[in-house]
Amino acid sequence: MAESSAAPVSVGRETRRRSAPPAAERSEQQETDAFGRRSVELSAFYQGKIETVPKVPVRSLRDFALWYTPGVAEVSRRIRASPDLSFDLTGRWNTVAIVTDGSRVLGLGDIGPRAALPVMEGKALLFKFLGGVDAIPIPIQVGSPDRFIATVEAMAPAFGGINLEDIASPKCFGILEELQKRLEIPVWHDDQLGTAAATVAGLLNALELTGRSMRELRTVLLGAGAANLVTARLLITLGHDPHRLALVDQRGILHAEREDMDELMLHNPWKYRLALRTNGAGRTGDLASALVGADVLLAASTPRPDTVRSEHVRSMARDPIVFALANPVPEIWPDVARSAGAAVVATGRSDFPNQVNNSLVFPAVFRGVLDARARSIPDEVVLAAAKELARGAARKGLSAHHLLPTMEEPEVFPEIAAAVADTSVRLGLARRRLSHDEFLERAKAMMARSGRLVRALARARLTPAMPRAPARPRPRPR
Amino acid sequence: MTASNESGAHAMGGAASDGPSVPIHLRPARETDVPALVPLLLRLKRLNEEFDPLLKVRDDADEQARLLLRGNLADPKSIVLAAEGVGPDRDKVVGFVRAVVRERPFYVPEQEGVILDIYLLPLYRRRGVGEYLLREVSAALKAKGAGVVTAEFPAQNEIASRFYLKRGFRPITAIHARSLL
Repeated sequence: MAESSAAPVSVGRETRRRSAPPAAERSEQQETDAFGRRSVELSAFYQGKIETVPKVPVRSLRDFALWYTPGVAEVSRRIRASPDLSFDLTGRWNTVAIVTDGSRVLGLGDIGPRAALPVMEGKALLFKFLGGVDAIPIPIQVGSPDRFIATVEAMAPAFGGINLEDIASPKCFGILEELQKRLEIPVWHDDQLGTAAATVAGLLNALELTGRSMRELRTVLLGAGAANLVTARLLITLGHDPHRLALVDQRGILHAEREDMDELMLHNPWKYRLALRTNGAGRTGDLASALVGADVLLAASTPRPDTVRSEHVRSMARDPIVFALANPVPEIWPDVARSAGAAVVATGRSDFPNQVNNSLVFPAVFRGVLDARARSIPDEVVLAAAKELARGAARKGLSAHHLLPTMEEPEVFPEIAAAVADTSVRLGLARRRLSHDEFLERAKAMMARSGRLVRALARARLTPAMPRAPARPRPRPR
Repeated sequence: MTASNESGAHAMGGAASDGPSVPIHLRPARETDVPALVPLLLRLKRLNEEFDPLLKVRDDADEQARLLLRGNLADPKSIVLAAEGVGPDRDKVVGFVRAVVRERPFYVPEQEGVILDIYLLPLYRRRGVGEYLLREVSAALKAKGAGVVTAEFPAQNEIASRFYLKRGFRPITAIHARSLL
């Protein structure tokens, strides 16, 4: 949908919404429905989005004496003697598990592991296509975070990295922390780290554009879920004064004496700790009081229109920065924010400029840590990815409409991968130490290969062409 | 023995270092402190609610807290100490400890000092204040004749449990409950 048609700024908007959704939203809903129907048809046609494909020649069955027994026994012996050889003598180095319990999938909520599988397959496709990463969707049925952790720990020997996906907050924090502690491979939770890295990258460029520095910034984060709690942590690491940072959730501004603090201490210690460190002024009240005089709003809340209103933006400092990242409906429409004075606006959507999108981050980050055979992925690595993403946009020229690279600027991906690999080497986390240029070339080759592979399979008709969409209304099956 | 009908509990936020300068000023509570103490006492009881449905806070807990504190302040067997903050929190009650001396008809020592509640606002936790409060209230209980000090808190409150275990306390009596409704 074009930006101009997304949200006509008009006085009548409120009243219209009460009776019927505005035309723009109605057509948007129709479009979403159409995508949904088509997706179901294609899922039924292809019956899954990924498959395993041999990557070695098989000239005759005799070759199996090499790929399998008896030859393979010697490979096993070598790995047993030196376990890290599993990264060199098997596909472990390039294989990632996408693990979910299906407890918070997209905007669908707790739909369980089976229903989460199509989403995880889609993620695996992105991993392969954009990052050259072999990713295996593994939705698991577990009753508790402890069992989740034990299950992933048990499967770690097969993988070079773990991508946690769509796990409800706050349990996602404990699961990630514990797995990062236990495993000797990088563990990433995309809803925390991927989104936060993309947000930080966008913010770094927005600061550049509006001539601000991190140290003097006053920032409001709306929503205190997976992404924003990590964004807050990363900003503090980058030098943001924690006292000048405030988190706002459904109960209003988070502060050290809020009524629910003891509950948070027990059930969400991550949010509790931020409540103690942030909001030095001890502000109380709602979003409106938080935003007065703020330079930046980073909204990653539940999608609800008009969560942020133009008067909120007008009350902010001069040339404010507004990120409205809720999907599919941003907390404030970009043109509304801009008319209210926002100098830079970003959303989570591809149909507006400045999409904060974790697909800009995770394929390249994993390309980098896998190429370095990294043992973990600390915040320094996440920030290296964010900074490289920001540089990627700057190389092409920063503007209020070009804050972040788009998915059509793939040249930034290998650069991010190389920056991630370099940082892993510098931090002593890499099992494999190459130069920047070597990592860069490797990433370029791996990423390019996926595109060639997909096209080659299609040319050879091993991947059937997409069937035409049936005419609507659909004929009844006989 | 610790069969109190108002199960106490403790929110001190875990391990505390024994700092020489605690950021509070501790003094006996006065009648005029009651309005400031009531919300703190209720915060503690609401924290207890998180541990067990049989610790659900009553609708009139507010009024009960006021009556209870007034009663404690008038009772020579009771101790209520108010912790005031420092700096911008000067003259503000940021925590408290409430305890009582009970007779033990069958055991020696014959007098038991029971710590019913310790509560500190979050910013004052993990700074050695809880430890300091424990030391001070123990001394005050001893001065009132107690030969043993005990603490009551919900069985599931592991933070409180760790706090006391670390400081030489051990469980001696258990209270088990089953709903009759």
